[in-house]
Amino acid sequence: MVTCAGCSCLCTDIVVKDKVFNACRRGASIFRNAENNKAKPKVDGKEVDFDTALNKAIELISNSKNLAVYGLDTVPLEAQELAIKLAEKKEAFIDDNSSFCLGDFVEMILKKEIPTTTLDEVKKNAYVIFYWGTDPYNSLSRHLSLYTYYPRAGKRQRGYEEDRFLVVVDVRKSHTAKLAKKNARFIQVNNDLELIDGFISALDGKAGNYFKDVSRIISEMKRADFNVIFGGLGLKYGLNSDYSRFLEMVNKMNEISNVYFLPAGFHANMRGFNELMFEKTGFVNRYSFREGKASKDFEFKNLILNDEIDTALIIGTDPLNSLPFEVARKLSKIKKIVIDPKNTFTARTADVVLPSAITGYDQGGTMVRSDGVRIEVEPLKEGDVSDISILKRILEGI
Amino acid sequence: MAITPMEVYKLLPKTNCKKCGEATCMSFAFKVINRERKLEDCTPLFEEKKYAPQLEELKKMLKGIEEATETGLIVDEELCSGCANCVVVCPVHASDDPYGMGSGYGPTIDDPILRIEDGVVKVINMKKCRRYGKNRILCVACRENCPSDAIRFVEG
Repeated sequence: MVTCAGCSCLCTDIVVKDKVFNACRRGASIFRNAENNKAKPKVDGKEVDFDTALNKAIELISNSKNLAVYGLDTVPLEAQELAIKLAEKKEAFIDDNSSFCLGDFVEMILKKEIPTTTLDEVKKNAYVIFYWGTDPYNSLSRHLSLYTYYPRAGKRQRGYEEDRFLVVVDVRKSHTAKLAKKNARFIQVNNDLELIDGFISALDGKAGNYFKDVSRIISEMKRADFNVIFGGLGLKYGLNSDYSRFLEMVNKMNEISNVYFLPAGFHANMRGFNELMFEKTGFVNRYSFREGKASKDFEFKNLILNDEIDTALIIGTDPLNSLPFEVARKLSKIKKIVIDPKNTFTARTADVVLPSAITGYDQGGTMVRSDGVRIEVEPLKEGDVSDISILKRILEGI
Repeated sequence: MAITPMEVYKLLPKTNCKKCGEATCMSFAFKVINRERKLEDCTPLFEEKKYAPQLEELKKMLKGIEEATETGLIVDEELCSGCANCVVVCPVHASDDPYGMGSGYGPTIDDPILRIEDGVVKVINMKKCRRYGKNRILCVACRENCPSDAIRFVEG
């Protein structure tokens, strides 16, 4: 059995033979297409041997005055550690996708501002399960079947129909919302704060917004001593970076029953990067080693928009494809070193491309699941190069 | 979503002409769903031009029935995301493989009813399904928990 590093579920029961068994569509495609569209070592768009590309990368990084290290969410902890060391040595900026993804939630958890738990505990004990502003059916396909609503385990042996209560909060009837049938509630919201206020009012004993739904959910919560809220990007953007009301609601809920919070949805090792950065700096992302602090200005997209950097070291991500056009256009004009197993859109316009390995396929390492549990990923086969070996050589060279 | 006789009936000529040998169009619709009669037996549908759009729609709808298993299960792999909800909710799986599929993991038995292969659900052993055989129970647990309608049943 191997581990799939396709998303933050990090499913450990994948069997790869002539076919890929048990993995979702995204996970299976990682194994099935591992040998397709591979990156080749390149300098200025021309194919060269690996050492030439590596030396050019070392030269660009050494000459850079304002370097940014970006990406890192799909590589193991050992590679992330080296990248952080490199950023520290160069007094560079470092950031990952969590700055516009769920980094804020991870920060709240690491600062112990909100009670949290693990997915294994959820599986064994959870009764009321919220999915707030996330559609795990599409983003984390096996989340519901492997960890939350459907599996039978521990105290929840009678299955989803009797032993779990699903609550889906979304602005539209998502695929996950369609699963909210018997013993479940789907609440369609225009403004997340209205629903939060509804919960706070009901917990105070007053009638407020969404009263019918909210009072039913609260009475269900009282039936168990373990309930969990999975928050997604919809919740983050719905709250507009002000989490005080949400934290107040969770604290109030904890007065009537145990309610835990977990972020739902992000890349395989995003939480790992956040944890490493928090250990080292006290911040989870968008950090400048020169200034010694984190700021919204140090977010990778803002660094590009404000012309703050001259070189970007991009590891295991494709920002030209994922960031807004305005940012992508400016990014195409600065020096870029891409370390990636695939010939991505960013790799096609990079000054230096260093092909690396796919975690779980031809490189192993430690990954951190969305609930903070560390998982040792064994590679399916041993590759020639890995992110760890590349970053080690760059670090030695500069 | 199920394919029901009523959906077929709505698209038939509804003239009860008896050319197919059935007393009514409704009974013909039932038999089409149960795969006892073929759509071609309704001759007016093919001969009269005014029924052409309905015929197209019927052909599209009944295409799935041809691929359905003995229990009437139709799997549309294109719609499947490999979430494995259907595999985990199945009561037969829960009793036969409590520490595998019943607990959310991949199967630890060799002959599960459904299994996720290459990211999509595949029918492996329909004989284990509660809908199979004479004493069948019309269980719909897998269909009920597939939000993308990748799993459907023919319901005659």
